[in-house]
Amino acid sequence: MAEGTPDVKEARRMLGKGICIAGVGETEQGIISDRGSFELLAEVTRTTLDDAGLALKDVDGIVTAFSFVESTLMHSTTLADYMGMTPGYFASVAVGGATAPLMAVQAAMAIDAGLAEVVLCVRGDNTRSGISSSGMIAMAREMSHGAYEAPFGLTTIGGYGLLAQRYMYEHNVPQEALAAVVATQSEHGALKWNAMLRNVVTIEDVLNDRWIATPFHVMDCSLVTDGAAAFIVTTEARAKNMRKKPVYITGVGEGFSHQYISQAESVASVRDGLGRAGRRAMEVAGITPQDLDVAEIYDSFSFTPLIALEGFGICGVGEAGDWVLEGNAKLGGTLPMNTHGGLIRQAHLGAMHHIIEAVLQLRGEADDSARTEYNGGNHQVPDAKLAITNGSGGILAATSALVLSSEPPSAA
Amino acid sequence: MSEKPAYTKPLPDLRPEDATFWEALKEHRFILPCDDAGKPFWYPRKYAPGTLSETSWTDASGNGSVYTYSTHFIGPSKAYKGDPPHIVALIDLDEGPRMMTILVKDEEGYPSLDAEDVTIGMKVRIVFDDVTDDVTMPRFTPAA
Repeated sequence: MAEGTPDVKEARRMLGKGICIAGVGETEQGIISDRGSFELLAEVTRTTLDDAGLALKDVDGIVTAFSFVESTLMHSTTLADYMGMTPGYFASVAVGGATAPLMAVQAAMAIDAGLAEVVLCVRGDNTRSGISSSGMIAMAREMSHGAYEAPFGLTTIGGYGLLAQRYMYEHNVPQEALAAVVATQSEHGALKWNAMLRNVVTIEDVLNDRWIATPFHVMDCSLVTDGAAAFIVTTEARAKNMRKKPVYITGVGEGFSHQYISQAESVASVRDGLGRAGRRAMEVAGITPQDLDVAEIYDSFSFTPLIALEGFGICGVGEAGDWVLEGNAKLGGTLPMNTHGGLIRQAHLGAMHHIIEAVLQLRGEADDSARTEYNGGNHQVPDAKLAITNGSGGILAATSALVLSSEPPSAA
Repeated sequence: MSEKPAYTKPLPDLRPEDATFWEALKEHRFILPCDDAGKPFWYPRKYAPGTLSETSWTDASGNGSVYTYSTHFIGPSKAYKGDPPHIVALIDLDEGPRMMTILVKDEEGYPSLDAEDVTIGMKVRIVFDDVTDDVTMPRFTPAA
């Protein structure tokens, strides 16, 4: 492994403790109008504890996100109260779509600092059924500057559209490349037991779909979901006595370039800013893109994974569209991507499901064929050992990435 | 001339720190904030980003070109229901900074430009849309 700068060495020291994910869980996803926000979080906590073979009293740290429905500025402790916990470590993370990988990083740092040993990271909400119309407007406006963007009728979709259209212009990327992301992930989502959209669509279907904001049709956009997902972060030593094979966090990285889209300097600066997250995570893990077996890449829109693939160095600049069109991202391709369907086919809980799918892949448990009641299928990448996953908040503003491995980190 | 219909679209959040900018727009003057080296920046605020020097103001040409755009078929709120699409654009101003606007025809009421008439790189100039008695919004229209 290359020597690395002091910060990279320090990250390796922390992860060298065998920081791992020892349990995962996810509820049904979709329109779940009969369950509240905290109820969904408690439900998925039960599933996740069961996966790890733990009781609630074994958990001594909790990291949560936020809710669009239940207004609280103390989300993690409100949930701890609801579930009857008195954790020694608690934190609420709120960086939009970058939240889930950052929750894992928070948990790792808490463990490293001796604040907790078994940390529950849980996120979910009844966003789809529970949000008020004023809440929806507030959410749509959340990513816009109140004086210099929102008054022009910018939507989050259109904000991504601004960057996507410039990207397509600079690199001569056809609309078909975006549609190929949707078509590819629809094949994967068709196999995932709890994906909201189970039908397979073609590039043609996407191109003929209704426009929302150019260059995005309805199918190019992520879903709005009721549901919850969770994972447990602990140490190798503690995981030994748990039910499932641990999946190790061997790389972490973050990157930021701008908050408001009108402040983004260029396509290149956005690519570099978010790309830093993935590049650093791989550097800490001591791997290169060629070593990866599976990639669960944040996909708020069909365009989003393209610029991330380039930023992470998995594809050359301007080449990710062709890479997807050639079938590289499909199951059976050179690097299967979003093998659960992603935000645009499975469900949208930020990047929670990307992490959970990566863990299932590395455990060899991504075959849903046994779930006959859900008509599940096999989306397992054979013999997957190394995965990259990321989340981005805002309009590709803030990104966090993890490298996950079926093997513990090698000595630095 | 008939009474103008009430403006229902979102209005800018107004803060004391950038009142100078909005006051100028009301007088149909376009000014840009500058740092202590005289370099204009966007968006207006009390202290210049990067150096936190006190902001000064300079007259700007109102000319620029389209960096990128997205045709919005659905707006962010009910106020857009039934409207034709609006085209949100980022404009590279001749003075350097990049700002957001919508692209319009230079006609009564400033209706949206047609999407087929927009290209990245096209030259545009500012028009001043007095949307209420208190607020004038900067819009951009093809220069030629």
